[in-house]
Parts: sequence; structure tokens; C-alpha cells
Amino acid sequence: MPPASAAGGDGLGAWRIYKSGMRAETVTVASAELARARAGDLEALEELYRAFQAPVYNLGRRICGNEEDAEDVLQDTFLEVCRSIGRFRGDGSLWSWVRRVAVSKALMLLRRERHRASCSLDGDGGLAGMVGRAPPEPTGPIDLETVLGRLTPLTRAVLWLHDVEGYTHEEIGELMGKTASFSKSQLSRAHRRLREWLE
Amino acid sequence: MAIERHLGMDELLGLRDGEGSAFARTHVESCEACRGELERLYRMRSELRALPTFRPPRELWPRIRRHVWRRRLRRRLSYGAVGLAAAAALAGLLVPRGPADEPADAWVAEASSEDLGPMINRARQLENLLQIYSPQQRVYDAPTALAASALEDRIFVLDELLLESRAVGADREVLRGLWGERVLALEQLVTLQVVQEEKRVWR
Repeated sequence: MPPASAAGGDGLGAWRIYKSGMRAETVTVASAELARARAGDLEALEELYRAFQAPVYNLGRRICGNEEDAEDVLQDTFLEVCRSIGRFRGDGSLWSWVRRVAVSKALMLLRRERHRASCSLDGDGGLAGMVGRAPPEPTGPIDLETVLGRLTPLTRAVLWLHDVEGYTHEEIGELMGKTASFSKSQLSRAHRRLREWLE
Repeated sequence: MAIERHLGMDELLGLRDGEGSAFARTHVESCEACRGELERLYRMRSELRALPTFRPPRELWPRIRRHVWRRRLRRRLSYGAVGLAAAAALAGLLVPRGPADEPADAWVAEASSEDLGPMINRARQLENLLQIYSPQQRVYDAPTALAASALEDRIFVLDELLLESRAVGADREVLRGLWGERVLALEQLVTLQVVQEEKRVWR
């Protein structure tokens, strides 16, 4: 089940985010603020930023794997939110919309990093080149955080989007310009690696 | 007839996510090893969700706010100045222009330098080309708008980095890299506009 759900049924009502897992994180944006944000009011947009900066940054950090890229994701996401909030119609949760923008920015950044590093192994010009980049083999016992850091960016992104954020394989495939089968194979690969390294 | 094989990772994940086959469901009930693997996958998902949340280490809103302001300002300016810019470009009266907010004297010095000059001139040409294409016609469909937005954001970020780099006296190599990236982003934006303009003309 996706971790975000909407409270309020008028499309501009208060919205809440429930983060999966042990903690529950609640973010509420009042309908009046949302309406002002949609009209381009910078103070209201700042309220949105305050409300969503932590989950967006965390998402960027988890997908990209480092602080610097996570900051880029946060910045690019809110530039997009500020520009496009007027197009948000309220037919889904605000967090789902913001999160989709954030995921798109994070994946775009992975593509750009890959392009910059010219590490293509298959020459398809997309994300797939990051699949085959072999991470260094760990020696000795390591924890889950370390293991996540050792996964390839793409494999880690699929793992996080599916197992934590609750995206379906179809949605992940669409976000990455790939198929659902591709997402499934990456998730399977991620769990094989986790089992192997954490044993 | 019993099938003597354990479930693969794909099958176990399918079971965990409620998509398991009839064979997998039957097998896991009678196979302790596979049941253990399935439980491990449930535990792993819980552990992933329980990982600590990273929080932004520094305040980014002022920078975002500044970008939004600049974008709004630039849009207003470009709507008003497009005719003038196009006329100037067509007449060959290309006015040197650096990233927004940049001190003019510093930019002019860089524009005449051997290493940065060609890139800055190229950026200037591309910016003038962008001005020729009517800004009012720039957004055609969602994917194009998204791609154009991303490129514009990139250019704004690079402008910001150029300003900061100069302020801290960054190496020439850094400036060259930033200008190179700026030219690349502008070229991509121009290509996008040219393709869209062609589509519009033939529509």
C-alpha cells in the first residue's frame, strides 16, 4: 500500500502523509495555503517546502546515495513544484504528486551522472548502463546502510521505490522508461545481493 | 508429483507481494527453507522502512526562492523584449550578456579571454537564438515542457554556480567546466525549440 494518503475530499483540503514503518510522519497543508501556493504566493510555496523538504530530501538521498545529489533533487523538485503547482488538480494526494516529481528528478540526475561518467556498458543511452556496474565486494560483516550504498544506483532506486515507497513494478517501469519485468529483475537482483552480503 | 526444487527469488518476492503462483503458494507451505526465505524478505522490507530518515543538512529555500524570482523576472523580460532581441540578433547587434546578476566588467573580461571566450560567445549566440523563437509558443506538450523546464533549471543552477565560483575565486578549470555545461544545456534547449518550432510550422 502506498505510504501516502489524503485526508479531506475536496481536492484542496488538508493533506496528510503517513510514512511507512515504525514511525508515522504527518504533514498537513491547509487548503487555504494550498490555494495561495497554486496562485504563486511565495510564502505559501515556502510552507509547502517546509512541509515536504524532509521526505523529498530523504527520497533523493536514498535513491542517489549521497548528500550532494540529494540536495540537487530537493532543489530541482521544488523549482518544479513552484512552477507547476497550478496544474495540481487535487485528484490524488499532494504528497504523491510531489513525490513523483522528486522521483523523476532523482532518476534524471542518475542519468546525467551516468552520462557524465561515460560509464555506458550497453550503449543504450538510458539508465541501463548503471545496472552492470559491479560494486566492490564487501569483506567482513556489514550493516544494511552499507549494503544499500554498495548496490548500483539503479538497483538501489528500484529497491527503494518498490519496497519502501510502495510503487508497483508497472509504475517503476514507466518512471524509468523500462518495463515492469525490468523492475522485477532489478528488485530480485537487489534482494539476492542483500542476502549475500548480510549473511 | 513433488517438484524437487526450491523457489527462486522472483517467486519468493511474488509471494511476498501477493502475486505468487499456485505452485509457489503450495510449495512454501511444505518447505521450511523457502518459508524461512519468505519470512526473511518480509523482515528485510520492514528493516528498510525502519531506516532513519535523512534530513537536509542546510537551508535551501532562499536559493530556490531566488531562482523562482529570477525565472519570473526573466519570463516577464523575455515576453517584453523578444521583438527587440530578435531584431537585434537579426541585425547582428549581439549584446554581450553573462549569467543573470553577474557583474558586467567581470563577464566582459572573461568573454575576451582565450579559454572562456569561445564558450561565452557560443552561449550568447544560443541565448539569442532562443529569443528568436517566441516564448509564447514554447510549451507544446507535457514531455517537452518537462524537458525544457529541466534544462532551464539546469541553466539557472549553473548561473548560480558561476557566480559563487567567481566569488570564492575558483580555479579556471572550474569556470571552464561550468561554461561548458552551460553551453551544452543551451544547445539542448535550442534543439528542443527548433524541433518544436518545426512541428508547429508543419502542423
